[in-house]
Amino acid sequence: MLNEERVILMTRMASYEEHEGKKNMAIGRYFRSDYIAIQVIKSIFSATIAYAVVLALYIFYDFENFMQNIYKMDLIAFARSVLTCYGVTVVVYGIISYLLCTYRYAKAKKSLKSYYSNLKKLHSLYNEQ
Amino acid sequence: MVTKMTGILEFKEKIKAFYAKNEVFIFPVVKFLLAFAVLSALNGKLGYMTRIDNAAIVLIVALACSFLPTASITLFAAMFSLLHMYALSIETALLGLSLYLLMFLLFFRVGSKYSLVLVITPMMFLLKIPYVMPIALGLIGTPGAAVALGCGVAVHFYFQTIINQAPTIATMGNEELTAKVRLLIDGFLNNRTMLVMIAAFAITVVVVYLIRRMSIDYSWTVAIVAGCLLNLVILLVGDLMYDTNMSVVGAILGTVLAAVVAKGIEFFRFCVDYSRTEKVQFEDDEYYYYVKAVPKMTVAAQNNTVKKINTQRRSAPARTSGSGRTVTTERTATGRSGYSQSHLTGGRSVTINSESMTDEETDDYEEIF
Repeated sequence: MLNEERVILMTRMASYEEHEGKKNMAIGRYFRSDYIAIQVIKSIFSATIAYAVVLALYIFYDFENFMQNIYKMDLIAFARSVLTCYGVTVVVYGIISYLLCTYRYAKAKKSLKSYYSNLKKLHSLYNEQ
Repeated sequence: MVTKMTGILEFKEKIKAFYAKNEVFIFPVVKFLLAFAVLSALNGKLGYMTRIDNAAIVLIVALACSFLPTASITLFAAMFSLLHMYALSIETALLGLSLYLLMFLLFFRVGSKYSLVLVITPMMFLLKIPYVMPIALGLIGTPGAAVALGCGVAVHFYFQTIINQAPTIATMGNEELTAKVRLLIDGFLNNRTMLVMIAAFAITVVVVYLIRRMSIDYSWTVAIVAGCLLNLVILLVGDLMYDTNMSVVGAILGTVLAAVVAKGIEFFRFCVDYSRTEKVQFEDDEYYYYVKAVPKMTVAAQNNTVKKINTQRRSAPARTSGSGRTVTTERTATGRSGYSQSHLTGGRSVTINSESMTDEETDDYEEIF
């Protein structure tokens, strides 16, 4: 026999699984440390490419002067300043993404907790039958 | 006043019913119209590549956008703009590509839900109502929207730089590669109006969001008014400090218009709720379930019921019926948007209940689970 309460609960859960649940379940598959580590590594990779693009534009902006002075300038000092800027960019962006991922993970877990409690409720409804 | 309010609320219910009934068609049509408007505006504003400045191509791409995910509008708009830039000069396209790449890598990779802001903001600038954006995003978004809005403003001013420098770039030879890049970067980064606007809009988004979330009465209205004033003050102070040559009258008019649009958003935010018709499939050991879940709608039409009839024996007042009875009608409503009204017209007391305003108007959408 069809149980109305069960069908309503299953419909709500199916709807959740199709929408925001999809993203939350993808997050929930990871351990907290794994999820945050992967996201921070991705962010560092993105920040590296972004920094390379900005550096390329910076050099290209004053390319003629740069090429004229390349033999005169202190290349080690230049490289040091470039690397310092890179380090600062990566660290700042990494911290922001760490905070964001921590928040997202906590939110997803909270949402999934309710979902799992509904799963338990559904299980008990089947057992009652 | 009461009649007007009732009219607005009934209109709201009608829209809600229409939305629930035609939700399957509304989204693709809205996406099509938005894509068509954005691509046409791009062709009209930049239009350096004549091959894509064609209504048929715009129509085909807009149709494709209607059934593709929403982010596809941003993607196609970016592609169209890059093609126009490429037609002007490869350096312009290279800078445009770098700008888009930076935005994607640093923000839209994680904040993809705001990708549409990138195309809507330049559209708002074109319609001369950019001041709507920070208020609207503060009301319906999160502080993260401030970054997306900043990117949108930057894209608009990059287009503006291209349009301003296009005659100079067109006369420059291919060998003046770095000169072209320098011209564009200088024109873009030294634009003080852009910097002031980005700062003003970002602060406004955050302040509107914070006030909107406060547990005070009329928080939305307070947020709109405070946001409009703050935005205006920052823009005017920025104008005084950095001499941005901003039109003060335009800013004031735009801000007033932004307040009106924001009030409209406040009204519709509660109207088109997220309880959409769901079609889900699942199974258990005994059955396959194909369920269509339709959100419950409250009835808009007034449900009039006679509650009490009193016959009063007294001399006939000014407007009496033949039987000499006084009719008292009263309208009551439940819910916070309710209204009430009383009339003394005859010899009997009649109470009319209107139970049309029972919809749950919650500020923030709570997750199902």
